[in-house]
Amino acid sequence: MNGLLTGALYAVIGMGLALIFGVMRIVNFAHGAFLMVGMYATFVLFDQFHINPYIGFLPAGIVLFIFGYLVYLGLIRPIRNQSHFMQILMTSGIALILTDSAQLIFHADYRQANIDLVSRVLRFGPFALNAAALVSFAIAALLIVGLTLFVTRTLTGQALRAISQNSEIAPLMGINVARIQAFSFALGIAFAGAAGGLLLPALYLYPGVGEDFTTRAFVIVVLGGMGSIEGAAIAGLVLGLAESLTSFYIGNQWALIVDFILFLLVLSFRPNGLFGRQRA
Amino acid sequence: MRFRNTIACAAALTLLLLPGCSKKSDDNTIRIGVVTSLTGNLAPFGEAHKRGYAIALDEVNAKGVLGKKIELDFYDDQSRSDQAVQGVSKLIDQDRVPVVLGAYSSESTKAMIPAMIQRQTPLLIPTATADNVMDSRSPWVFRICAGAGDYAKATVAFLKDDGAPKTIAIVYENTNFGQSNMKAMDAAAKAAGLSVVAVESYETKSPDYRAVLQRVKQKDPDVIYFCSYLVDAATLMRQAQEVDLNPRYYTSAGTGFAAAEFPTPKGAGKNAEYTFSTSQWLPEAQWVGSREFDAEFFKRYGSHPAYHAMQAYSSLRVVAQAISDAQSADSMKIRDAIRSLNISTAFGPVRFDANGQNQHPVLVTQVQNGQYRVVYPADAANSKPVVPAPRWAQR
Amino acid sequence: MKRWRLWLLIAVVIACACLPFITQNDYQVRILFRIAIFAALGLAWNLVGGFAGQLSLGHAAFFGLGAYGLAIFTARGVPMWISLLLAALVATLFAAAIGRIAFRLRGPYFTLATIAFAEVLRLTATNLEITGGAIGLDVPTLFAGRSFIRMMYFAAVILALITFLINFATSRSRPGYYLMAIREDEDTASAVGIDTASYKLRALLISAFITALGGALYASSSQHIVPDDAFAMEISVQIAIIAMLGGAGTLAGPVAGAVLLLTASEVFKNQFREGHLLIYGVLIVLVVLFLPDGIVGGLQRLLRRRNPPGSLPGSPDVQPEAGA
Repeated sequence: MNGLLTGALYAVIGMGLALIFGVMRIVNFAHGAFLMVGMYATFVLFDQFHINPYIGFLPAGIVLFIFGYLVYLGLIRPIRNQSHFMQILMTSGIALILTDSAQLIFHADYRQANIDLVSRVLRFGPFALNAAALVSFAIAALLIVGLTLFVTRTLTGQALRAISQNSEIAPLMGINVARIQAFSFALGIAFAGAAGGLLLPALYLYPGVGEDFTTRAFVIVVLGGMGSIEGAAIAGLVLGLAESLTSFYIGNQWALIVDFILFLLVLSFRPNGLFGRQRA
Repeated sequence: MRFRNTIACAAALTLLLLPGCSKKSDDNTIRIGVVTSLTGNLAPFGEAHKRGYAIALDEVNAKGVLGKKIELDFYDDQSRSDQAVQGVSKLIDQDRVPVVLGAYSSESTKAMIPAMIQRQTPLLIPTATADNVMDSRSPWVFRICAGAGDYAKATVAFLKDDGAPKTIAIVYENTNFGQSNMKAMDAAAKAAGLSVVAVESYETKSPDYRAVLQRVKQKDPDVIYFCSYLVDAATLMRQAQEVDLNPRYYTSAGTGFAAAEFPTPKGAGKNAEYTFSTSQWLPEAQWVGSREFDAEFFKRYGSHPAYHAMQAYSSLRVVAQAISDAQSADSMKIRDAIRSLNISTAFGPVRFDANGQNQHPVLVTQVQNGQYRVVYPADAANSKPVVPAPRWAQR
Repeated sequence: MKRWRLWLLIAVVIACACLPFITQNDYQVRILFRIAIFAALGLAWNLVGGFAGQLSLGHAAFFGLGAYGLAIFTARGVPMWISLLLAALVATLFAAAIGRIAFRLRGPYFTLATIAFAEVLRLTATNLEITGGAIGLDVPTLFAGRSFIRMMYFAAVILALITFLINFATSRSRPGYYLMAIREDEDTASAVGIDTASYKLRALLISAFITALGGALYASSSQHIVPDDAFAMEISVQIAIIAMLGGAGTLAGPVAGAVLLLTASEVFKNQFREGHLLIYGVLIVLVVLFLPDGIVGGLQRLLRRRNPPGSLPGSPDVQPEAGA
């Protein structure tokens, strides 16, 4: 059960990366760093204006959207047609810059946003659930459903999917590829930022906090099937569950290993992802 | 094409020689080397070091040492042990510092030691608690903090004195710190006839420890011993409540469980009640200068110091004292002065044994009504322990 | 022409051999050692990442296996130099296993798979008794004495030189052309009858062997290893960045990358304290924006503009794989 709660957050992170990696084939090694920026943004709102992180994640997401848009225009757009070699270099460089800037601005010490909700427990018979985790699950679920609806039901969303399936034909259908790509990059970053905001009450914040989430996000996107945003959502939940079950039955220290082994197995046997539809 | 190698080599050389002409101790300053983690995963602790050093530096320089000012020469190990070794080389081979403080982590510190011994330069270790750090038994190595073994022994001695429980579960984070403390406790518990019914580890980076705590709960131990770093304590206690884990004693190897904010609403709040912890230092400690350091730290940085900052602070104070005792900034003389040092500091009395280990007393504290109270050893205690911890349902 | 190049190589080697005698102290020798090791690692990576165009971000796996192999074998009484070879062989065996799985994948999938392999090793080393867990292991120094770092430096230069020669041989041999063909278009390469899997695997095996030797040398210079350092993704990324920044698929690129990047990072660190990674990041971003073929690639383009094309054999004129 708790696995699902964490999984929903993973899903949000993974969907953000799916927008970037799946739709634009941009290998974003700075995803975790953007998540960290989202956490700091939410933290500043909490610290300065006493805005609850479960509300503050929203403005943080918006800030990150704008930030992501600018980063895309300035740094990613010029190299979007280069090899993924160069994209990895570029995004690693961006990650370094973000992490170190955070350290220069906020110093390296641990920070946390403590809200009452975090220590409240709801009990249903033998089951105990953390109230904060429940709230973040609810918000994450809203984000997941919202994004899925957006991608499937709106014109922009469909354009986005069209590009992800074939970026050469898409412009022939009258799709403004450049604009949609910038939009989807920014949206992906916004999701990373929002996920960061939701994680804030559960984690301690320091400049390097995002690092692990980059690899996790890639695991999720690959499990879910490249370019499949719904797939990423399901994969996030599965990963959360898998980690939780491993912790319970084998031991927590093996949970991450299980993540990666799952990942390698899927890569070797189902390269289209666990839930990816077979595409020509 | 290879001519470009030449160009590149030439460029490298110029670049290398550039920092080569860096400042050295002149007549008015004494430079002391510091290796710590300014960037990377452990940067939060490097920050604590930096702050402790800064306060000590101002205090020392207010009076001066041998009529000179102390200057700190920092090297960032980027939270990596190979870089710490490189730092030793930079600080001693190039900057010619007579003494080095550091590093933060046990990994980095352990890696530095052979390099320090080779260079016949004293190393004063502020915070690295893993027991293997002092394995070298070298006369050049001194450690001001107590080690993991001391934590375990103090805890076991306290338990024997107070109720003599039968079973213990160890929960540790999967890092050098956690593993060292787990091993130390495993050995100490077995030696004292406590049966170890569960040994569970967790990754610090996944904030969900419920599964681990569930596994411990199935074994229903009398005592649970947490070897957890600064960040996990509040989360562990919160989730212990969620899974309704009820040992008679919650004990721990310091750090997060001994941090100033742990018993406050900023930390674990009410969930912190009744937890025991070993502690190297608390702002409330009886030692002269403790409260002053706490106040100064709070004034400068707006938060209370954990003991890492205090250990850095007192390390620099100790080195300054040694230099002034030695009447010289010569490595060998400083080493001898550190060895024969016997002073009281804000971190308690400092005196190094033959192996260079400071005989730092380990306290066992318990959170009572939101305050740390010392409950063991008897001569330092200011309160009686409350045992057993009430079940969560009755709190 | 050819002789001219040979003499130049010899001159560079002699210059490298003399370098430690004109440095002022062991710290500078240590930096030179680091540069030489990473030049070797970058060149080894180049075989897979540069020539064959298979972007591995898992070379820390081989680096760490070499380091741990040396520590574990010597601790069990195997002579040091034999341990070194054994460690490299273990890493090569492991590379064979990785290759079989990962080479079925293309593009970013391959990259992610290599990351996953290195991470699995890192986590395993943290959890096992034989590797000393998170506490790590002591590594013996391969040379004794006060200035062992100088000997380490020479060993590293020799390793870099050998790797350079392997790169050179690859760049003008049939297997090398096959690798480049794979890089340009794997399907076509396979269609014209190149056994792509086998050539990629061979490149990886050699690369892994050298990387493990480099890892063992490096660990021996710090005398202690922990999983988070030896199998760190940082190491993988650094190796790849060195090669790519210098110019993937060129001969001088990885060397130039190692020299520039490592000196820059050390100088920044000594000058800017906490800010150094920021400057390092900006440097990387600038190179990607303005020198997309790496430093050597950029220089080549400049030269080509002045000279007629074809004046630079030995380095492929085509850029590494554009687009996915």
